[in-house]
Amino acid sequence: MANTQSMERSDSLGGFPSIKTILALITGVMMLVDLYFIFMVAPTDSVLGHVQRVFYFHVPIAIVSFLAFFVVFIASLGYLMKRTSKWDAIAHASAEIGVVFVTLALLTGIIWARPVWNTWWTWEPRLTTTMILWLIYVAYLMVRSYAPTRSKGAIYAAVVGIIGFIDVPIVYYSVVWWRSIHPSPVVGPFAQADALDGTMALVLLFSLITFLFFFAYMVAERMELRNTEEALGRIRFTLRRRGR
Amino acid sequence: MLDFILLSTHLPSSNLPYLFAAFAVSWVVLFGYLFYVNRRQHEMKKEITRLQKVLDQTPEEE
Amino acid sequence: MSGLFGPMMVIFWKDVLLELRSRDLVVSVVVFGLLVVVVFNFALNNTPGRSEELAPGILWAAFAFAAVLSMNRAFVRDQEQGGLEGLLISPVSRDAIFLGKALTSLIFMLLVEAALLPIYAVMLDFSALSWYLMLTIFLGTLGFAVVGTLFSAMAVQTRSREIMLPVLFFPVLLPVIIAAVEATTRAVGGETFIGLGRWLPLIGVFDALFLVVCPWIFSFVVEE
Repeated sequence: MANTQSMERSDSLGGFPSIKTILALITGVMMLVDLYFIFMVAPTDSVLGHVQRVFYFHVPIAIVSFLAFFVVFIASLGYLMKRTSKWDAIAHASAEIGVVFVTLALLTGIIWARPVWNTWWTWEPRLTTTMILWLIYVAYLMVRSYAPTRSKGAIYAAVVGIIGFIDVPIVYYSVVWWRSIHPSPVVGPFAQADALDGTMALVLLFSLITFLFFFAYMVAERMELRNTEEALGRIRFTLRRRGR
Repeated sequence: MLDFILLSTHLPSSNLPYLFAAFAVSWVVLFGYLFYVNRRQHEMKKEITRLQKVLDQTPEEE
Repeated sequence: MSGLFGPMMVIFWKDVLLELRSRDLVVSVVVFGLLVVVVFNFALNNTPGRSEELAPGILWAAFAFAAVLSMNRAFVRDQEQGGLEGLLISPVSRDAIFLGKALTSLIFMLLVEAALLPIYAVMLDFSALSWYLMLTIFLGTLGFAVVGTLFSAMAVQTRSREIMLPVLFFPVLLPVIIAAVEATTRAVGGETFIGLGRWLPLIGVFDALFLVVCPWIFSFVVEE
């Protein structure tokens, strides 16, 4: 009986909607508004045309993917210091969703690169660092699932989260310096980037906030999944103890 | 100093497929992940209810 | 710091003596290093004209792969023989254990690289007679050893240890590889310290940073 009760408690707080539901609603509304802004309000780029609007998804998604890794870093430190399941849950959820966002950042980046720079990929600092971030995320998730026990997995993952985060700025600058010696032959208007018209900047900012809420909502969902996972584990344990 | 290569074969209007692809990929990935999380959540909850019934039927430890 | 140095050296000597007695690891890694250069030579289509351009990259690709291989094997052997558990039971500080192991890896890799360097100089047609090249190789290998030892300690415990170390190692050590290749290009071209630019300081900062962070984090990896 105790198990189902604690599960119900985590689903709702009396009559009030859960944080998760609130985030979902906010995200949904903001996304609709964001799409309106992107397609109806933002001006058309004079050089690139409508394809430039990819920018309003690609950039916020990339920013959120780096921010997610910062969350992983803080939560990893928190876990190593405090060892509560909550810290580990935040780190794990942020990492999993972070990898979704980085993957998306890379995919939209590739789709963006083709019409703008006439190449699918270029080893420029931001794209390269995003690629490395993806690899570090993957290493984080791999070490967690390949570790001998769950608790070791949590510790090893925290180590990767911390070392990886410290490393990312070094990676970025090393590629920037490398790039200054080996410049790209094709440099598009947005490689120097950020020569933004006022309205464009505002739409970009709104899109960023939208994706921040989307991220928070996804983390909430993922953490609830983990709660369910733990409840399932508890009930299985109880059953095993009673010989079933 | 902006020097760029603008090929005449890549007129702005011909790039709309890329625009569509980018947004489509974004939706597929984001909602795909949410769908995956929700499905696992659902399956686990079903399993928990099932196991809870079994638990109710087994006697407590001696 | 004397409490650190003593145990660290003891651990180092123990591992080094163990290795010198069998010698199989050194030889196999050196052979591996040769194989890598041969493969890259053909894969990159290294004609005499291009050798100057490609040599530093091939050199560091070979060193990086050799590093991963040697650190993987060293820790596997250690785990099989239970060496690490014995150390952890004793009152030696975790920092000393880590530094001892890292020093072992460092010296081991430097020996392998010393053996390979003259052969590379001939095969890839460059002059290895540069103090700055030696410094670059030392600093780069130090970076490999420090971060690699930490990651090896984790990887060796995982289900898929052969693949886990490279997956952890390469993304994090990319800046060192980039910087080392650039510095090597200049050193081999006869440049002096100023001519090497920011690259050696970059490796230096990387090494210093992780020499502080990794020993501290190592204690979490090996705790029970």
